[in-house]
Amino acid sequence: MATQLIGARIKALREERGLSQEELARQFGFKDRQILSAIETGERRVSAEELILAVQKLGASLDYFTDPFILVGEGKFSWRQTNVGPQRLSAYERNAGRWIAAFRRIAPQVGRETPLLRRALGLTRHHRFEDAAGAGERLAAEFELGDIPARSLAAVMERHFGVLVLMVEALEGISGAACRLPELDAVLINRHEVAGRRHFDLAHELFHILTWDAMPPDHVEEASETSKNRVEQLANSFASAVLMPTAVLDGYGDWSALRGNDLVAKLNATADQLDVTASALKWRLVGLGRLPLAAAREVRDAALRNNGHEGSETNPPPLFSEPFIEVIALGLKEGLISARRTAGLLDVSLDDLSELFRSHGVEAPDEL
Amino acid sequence: MARHRGPVLVDTNAILECWRIGAWRALTGGYAVETVEDCVTETQTGFQRRRPERQVDAAVLRASLAAPAHTVTDAELAELAVQAPDIALDVGERSLWAHVLTRADAWILCGPDKASLRFGVRLGFRERLVALEGLLGAAGYRSKSALKPAYTTKWLNATLGELVLSEGRAQP
Repeated sequence: MATQLIGARIKALREERGLSQEELARQFGFKDRQILSAIETGERRVSAEELILAVQKLGASLDYFTDPFILVGEGKFSWRQTNVGPQRLSAYERNAGRWIAAFRRIAPQVGRETPLLRRALGLTRHHRFEDAAGAGERLAAEFELGDIPARSLAAVMERHFGVLVLMVEALEGISGAACRLPELDAVLINRHEVAGRRHFDLAHELFHILTWDAMPPDHVEEASETSKNRVEQLANSFASAVLMPTAVLDGYGDWSALRGNDLVAKLNATADQLDVTASALKWRLVGLGRLPLAAAREVRDAALRNNGHEGSETNPPPLFSEPFIEVIALGLKEGLISARRTAGLLDVSLDDLSELFRSHGVEAPDEL
Repeated sequence: MARHRGPVLVDTNAILECWRIGAWRALTGGYAVETVEDCVTETQTGFQRRRPERQVDAAVLRASLAAPAHTVTDAELAELAVQAPDIALDVGERSLWAHVLTRADAWILCGPDKASLRFGVRLGFRERLVALEGLLGAAGYRSKSALKPAYTTKWLNATLGELVLSEGRAQP
């Protein structure tokens, strides 16, 4: 794989520049295009001289061809955000791409192969919201998400779907993102969001991952539980059902007669127990016909903010995730990535790196 | 170990550790110490990737080197990239090895990172990889502060043994 990287990037840039293999082979001074073809497919090792030729003739940096920790035209992102400008988002995306690319590179080297096959939901944009919710209900049941699905969803995504889930330090306004690479799916969640929003984002991004081919999400979408975009609405229906399956909600009794403060109190308390937002719970109950629309409309948004708590949560989950940190630790232990490079990649000091490992229960390598 | 008479190339980690225990003068007094420009940069505050950061006087550092800090070219970095594309080094470590590959003299290298050591082992330089503890000991320096484990001879020997086995398995 390592030797294929340079060839693949030469190919990517050649195609981006609209050059044929014959044209570039001529620029490189090769006697025929077969040599270039063999380089591009990784069958033939690139020499240092040829690498420099690529830098000069294609006008890209050496890192472009050799750095495995960048995504070059491979990653498709869909960001869930509010008012983050395109330039800031683009810069953040480059950084996020490094984490994902590093995992993609190191995981197979340390025996953590990414899944051979991808799972997908058989839904299209022409399906009804009820169909998306039904898929969410089935997913929660078939993967045994339990009485509080929010708490087991990330682990199920990692274990059963092979999705890399990362809790990240994100720019203000970014809720999360789904990312698709040819060989890996990833979901990024702003770890400083309140728990209910994090879980909703996670389930929402899972929908995009599971329907990417049929309904490719937009690069940027507004973070909202009441989006106007049909694909986003389907994702929201799915997310609500995953986190709040009918069978689970039925355990919380009858909602139909509740009004005013009683309704607000029960919404907030139940949302806390389910680790969702009270607002999402309210609309889920309406969708299921458990709560009259008129009663829901009487509830002020402010009464449900932070599930009725003063201030917001101050206990975010550890940075990144245990599977990610395990792979990075194995890469360090095996001497596949240097400690300084790791610290730079994760934007922490070497000293904080040890602490980060410990926060996931992963042993820190000696040299740190 | 006997005191080496040729050039001793050091990476950012080794410089910072030496500075931390107050042994830089002893090291550069006992050996012809050299490094690359990127490693000098990485010793400066804002680039150390250490907390807390330590003040390393760049002028003192440069003045004590046996040769001006080396700069590396894209061609030298390209040589390194094709030799071991699966090993991810940091900028200074990468530049140091890229520079090393251009030299034909009797250099030895002190840089304790395992990935950097793997690179050295793969290219057949195991015998040229040395621990800071060994260098300081041979120069007659006894530190009052303990070196971190990765700078000791014991750690280096164990790690090199492990890497030799691993690289041996990796060879076709």
